[in-house]
Amino acid sequence: MKFSAQRESLLEPLQQVAGAVERRQTKPVLGNVLFGCTDSGITLTATDGEIELCSTTQIAVDEPGSITVPARKLLEICRHLPEQARLNVEVTGEKLVLKAGRSRFTLATLPAEQFPESEPLKGGQKIVLPVESIREAMRATAFSMAQQDVRFYLNGMLVEIGSERVCCVSTDGHRLAWSQVSTDVSPETPVRAIIPRKSVGELTKVLSVAPDDGTVELHLTDQQLQATVADVRLTTRLVDGRFPDYKRVIPIDGDKELVMDTQSLRQSLTRASVLSNEKYRGVRLTLDQSVLTISSNNPEQEEAIDELEVDYQGQSTEIGFNVTYLLEALGAIDTESVRLILKDSGSSLLIVPDGSADCKYVVMPMRL
Amino acid sequence: MVSAVDRTSGVDEKAAQPRKIIHVDMDAFYASVEQRDNPLWRDRPVIVGGKPNGRGVVAACSYQARAFGVHSAMPSAEAGRRCPHAVFVAPRFERYKAVSRQVHAVFREFTNIIEPLSLDEAYLDVSDVALLGGSAVRMAREIRAMILETTGLVASAGVSYNKALAKLASDHDKPDGLYCVLPGEGEQFVATLPVGRFHGVGRVTEERMQSLGIQTGADLRAWSLEELSREFGNSARRYHALARGVDERPVQVSRVRKSIGSERTFGDNITTPEAMLEVLLSLAEEVFDSLELQQLRASSVTAKVRFADFETLTRSRSVSAGFMDRCIMNRSLPYLLERALVGHPKPQVRLLGVSLSGLSPSDGSGLQQLELDL
Repeated sequence: MKFSAQRESLLEPLQQVAGAVERRQTKPVLGNVLFGCTDSGITLTATDGEIELCSTTQIAVDEPGSITVPARKLLEICRHLPEQARLNVEVTGEKLVLKAGRSRFTLATLPAEQFPESEPLKGGQKIVLPVESIREAMRATAFSMAQQDVRFYLNGMLVEIGSERVCCVSTDGHRLAWSQVSTDVSPETPVRAIIPRKSVGELTKVLSVAPDDGTVELHLTDQQLQATVADVRLTTRLVDGRFPDYKRVIPIDGDKELVMDTQSLRQSLTRASVLSNEKYRGVRLTLDQSVLTISSNNPEQEEAIDELEVDYQGQSTEIGFNVTYLLEALGAIDTESVRLILKDSGSSLLIVPDGSADCKYVVMPMRL
Repeated sequence: MVSAVDRTSGVDEKAAQPRKIIHVDMDAFYASVEQRDNPLWRDRPVIVGGKPNGRGVVAACSYQARAFGVHSAMPSAEAGRRCPHAVFVAPRFERYKAVSRQVHAVFREFTNIIEPLSLDEAYLDVSDVALLGGSAVRMAREIRAMILETTGLVASAGVSYNKALAKLASDHDKPDGLYCVLPGEGEQFVATLPVGRFHGVGRVTEERMQSLGIQTGADLRAWSLEELSREFGNSARRYHALARGVDERPVQVSRVRKSIGSERTFGDNITTPEAMLEVLLSLAEEVFDSLELQQLRASSVTAKVRFADFETLTRSRSVSAGFMDRCIMNRSLPYLLERALVGHPKPQVRLLGVSLSGLSPSDGSGLQQLELDL
């Protein structure tokens, strides 16, 4: 195997696939990236056994061939070479030699046959969606996914693709994020799939470098999802489990409603968060006629009180929250004002962008 | 009728080293917390409890209020008459609990053998603590100073070789007091005290004793065990010991429990799921209150159903992450009942029970994140 390329044309695909490389390498070959060089170009592949990332780049190849090399080492080397550097790559014996100007690197290799390359997906259906819509729905909800929860089906994102809409949902049991976008696409059969947490992160990265007006092709089977955006292909196992009936926990009985300036509320919460209990992050929201008071205190007896003027004439109420949950929900909202709908200190709070029904954030209170 | 020399005295102190027990009692606790949090009230009579125009009672009052003859458990209306200019405030138990946790954190700097009596009172066994030269008096002094420093509140402490004497000692110089009853001084110390101050001598017993001419520890000391038994039955042994400054009860660290539950048996079997659910819900409330009181958390709820033929079924639900809250518990019950009644189209139920298990101590923050009912 032998080729020569400009630094950038190798670095970019390397960066795109590196996220899939297994960190705690259970098998040495999973720490490597697979080079597949054919006459038409080079395909780089990385996998941890659950998620596979593949990126193809058009580079003139002098000698075709396949080999695997340590992914992170190669990435670090390429990253620190000068911009526009010309790279000469060649496999000699059991080593891969990379030369650039007066730099020379000799890397260990493992044969390509050891690399677990995925089988092509069988059956299922293919759906082509605008990059922008799925990217937006995922961005608006990814932060609420559970992490290493025993309810394994929460450690991921539910993606529903129905007629002319895509809907993403994530929840860690304390809060829930729901978002939908309209599309002009209708799948043959509605899709309901849970994408594992790590794959959500990688898919988000892949989508983030795609052009806004581009499309993503989703190939879905019962167990796998393959997403192809331009030259990059992500294949992931899906979470095999039933996502809970999230509609049930989106409250509909809130009787107290506030419309507030998103930025002012965020800033006030951020200020109060400084003096909240570091571990539990509790803040108290006290709603009175025309005033919302956000307060917090910590074990050191320090205290923050922040008042915001609100257009509210209903009953007084007091309710506690983990401030992080509120801030993350507000951070995902891009409208100038937000609506908060609540009932009492034991019932969930609903946060929605003002004037939009496309995102809903549900946060359970904290008993203070 | 006066007994001769009583040779049973001092049984617990004869062989081993005397124990070192500290009783710490926060002074006018709820009222002091309110005065601390509201500086304008600091020099005023503060009454925590029901409103003076309502039917509530006084839960606690500041020393300024006590000067007007106000005391706890007095109807608030009466307190309002005696001290009309007092500040009446509703209790904020969450606040008091938080302070109580700070106080316990101070205790734990010295020992883990702590028996809380309430939010504002606890026994500490420091017999084996080597700190401060092993001096319980110096430890008590340090505990009071640390409580003042961390909470801004004043505590009284009593030091002695058993719980009863330590408690009497903390009361001796209250408020802001520290008093020690040394080994060998117990009997003399209680001799002058009115019997009403003794642990386990309530108002009714006190009146009975007074009608028998027993006013002080010394009067009680003059009665033999047999004579006391005739008058007071099973409690006689305890009074007999108290009069001699003897109390062998250990400082009991709250025991580790596996579950907390409550059950109800019915005179007439109940037959409708609606009625059963109602009972389960009320039992559950009771059980959850008791869980909170003990500062515990639970991860599972179990419903128990016993049918007329004594077939007994239990059905449980656990929260896999986090902890059971009232809401999840209550929402689980209909589902647990439904599962228990499967195969019993015409149920005849004679007993229902609810228990919470998977207990662990609340982490002391007092903050509890509620869960979505997924």
